[in-house]
Parts: sequence; C-alpha cells; structure tokens
Amino acid sequence: MADVLGAFEQAVLLAIVRLGEDAYGRAILKEVETRLARDVAPGAVHATLERLERKRLLASRLGGGTPVRAGRARRYYRLQPAGVRALNDARAAIETMWHGLRWPLKGRA
Amino acid sequence: MTETRRPPAWAEAILRVSLERADRESVSGDLLEAYRDSIVPERGEAAADIWYVRQVAGYLWRATFIWALLFSGAFVARTAYDWFVPTTDFYARSAFTTYFAAGVWFLAGAWAAWRSGSFFAGPVVTAVTTLVAALFSVTGASVLLAIWHDPGTLDAAAGSGGLGEVYSLPFMAIVPALVIGTVAGAVGSVGSLLWRRPSGLRSQG
Repeated sequence: MADVLGAFEQAVLLAIVRLGEDAYGRAILKEVETRLARDVAPGAVHATLERLERKRLLASRLGGGTPVRAGRARRYYRLQPAGVRALNDARAAIETMWHGLRWPLKGRA
Repeated sequence: MTETRRPPAWAEAILRVSLERADRESVSGDLLEAYRDSIVPERGEAAADIWYVRQVAGYLWRATFIWALLFSGAFVARTAYDWFVPTTDFYARSAFTTYFAAGVWFLAGAWAAWRSGSFFAGPVVTAVTTLVAALFSVTGASVLLAIWHDPGTLDAAAGSGGLGEVYSLPFMAIVPALVIGTVAGAVGSVGSLLWRRPSGLRSQG
C-alpha cells in the first residue's frame, strides 16, 4: 500500500503530471489555483512539494532562471514510481468509496 | 515596468534567511515571478507589497512555530506549576525553565542558520520565535486565569512574581533570545559550511 494522499497533495501531484517537463514551483502553483478555482498560498505548495519529495514521491532538479525571476533558478519536479502508485491508489480508493452511489448526492446535508 | 519592480528589500532578505539553502533561489524566484507576473498587474504595487510580506510571514511562521510552541508550552506549564504547587524556593524551577528556554533559542537559531547557511537566520528566527512564543504564552496564561481565578490561585500567582511578570516576561525575553540567537547563528552557519551537501542538491531528478 502506497502513501495515503490528502486532497491537496493529489492536486499538486496531478498538476505535475499535467505540466510534464514544465513542472516548476510557480507553474505548479498556477495550475493548482486554476484547477481548484481559488487562491493558494505559494508557501502551501512549496511545503507540500518538500513533503512529497521527502516521502520520495517526487524528485527535483534545478534549472535556469528567467529575467522576470531576476535570474533565480527554477526547481523542476517529476513524479517517481512511488508517486504514480500513490496517485493510482488514491483514485482507486475514491472510486471504491463512491461505487454504487449516484453523483451528485441528493437531499439535505 | 512590472518586470523590474521589486518587493520590499527587507522582506526579501527575511525570506532568504528563513528558507533552506537548497530552496533559496527557487522559492524566492517563484515568489518574485508571481509578484511581477500576476500580483502587481492585478492588485497594484502597494497591495502587491502587502501580499509579498504576507507570503514571507507564512514561510517565517513555518520556520518558527514549532520552537515557539515548545517555549510557550514550557512557560505556561511553569506558570501553572507555580500557581497550583506554590513554593517559596524558586531556584530549581527557575534554573530549569531558564536552561530550557536558552536551549530552545539556541536550537531554533542554530537549526535555522544551518539549514539556510546564513548567520543572520540565527538572530532573525530566534527573535521571531520569541515574539510568537510570547503571544502563545500570554494567551495560555490568560486561559489559565480565565478558568482558575479563585483567591487561592491569585494568592499563589502573586507569590510567584505576580501577573505583571506573567504578561511581561515573555516579551522581555527577546533580549537574551537575541544574544543566544546570534551565537547560535554563528555556530549553525559554520556547521553548515562544514557538514552540508552542496546547495541545490535535494534528490536525484
């Protein structure tokens, strides 16, 4: 059984999958904000990336900077096999829990 | 113009000392890119500066809150101990809490300087830790007082230095904290030079 991922961790990992070779901090932040349709603190994304890397679900490398960043390096992320397994497990767990239920649920909360 | 606009220099300096050395360039670059690309055009320069300072506060909070919890936990526990187990000889208690506080300040400062590779991280992180801890401590002591304010407890509080001390001491601690944080900054930054992987290497990409 791989790591159990929280919803925000899944959002960050899926952003990295979507961005492919362009998955660096700022791009991941924008992708997560777009998908979740809300403002996200950069610190929350960086803390999540660091945690996922510590769990070895991600790996990173430094790349070049750009003028808008004052030449500061970008850190590019990519999924490790354990990260792919964790995402697949998370998806399977959600589908198992929803199995047999109609979405969206009806009735009062 | 937006591409050359810079956030407050002091906030950038604090951000850089509150980050791990391997993340200093990439994280500060991400923030600068967001600031110039999105925040300044959308909100204007003054609001963008406030946004930037708030983000820096978030990173600083993550670098200090554990140490602040440790310090304030010890302070509130000591306050409760003095109130509920009164004594006239405070020597052993004072010695324990003083050494504990000094240890927390030293570890906070040395850890921050070691991970950032910057001497200045020591005094900065120790000072912020102490201020955050002071707020936690005063809140904790107020909760104790709100629950237990019978005459016996108030007498014990008066006998252990009084409520004035409970509310002022955590803030006065900033002075010794800065001294210890400065020493810790020197130790941590030297340690970082001697026993640290090269900057930028965190995992194999």
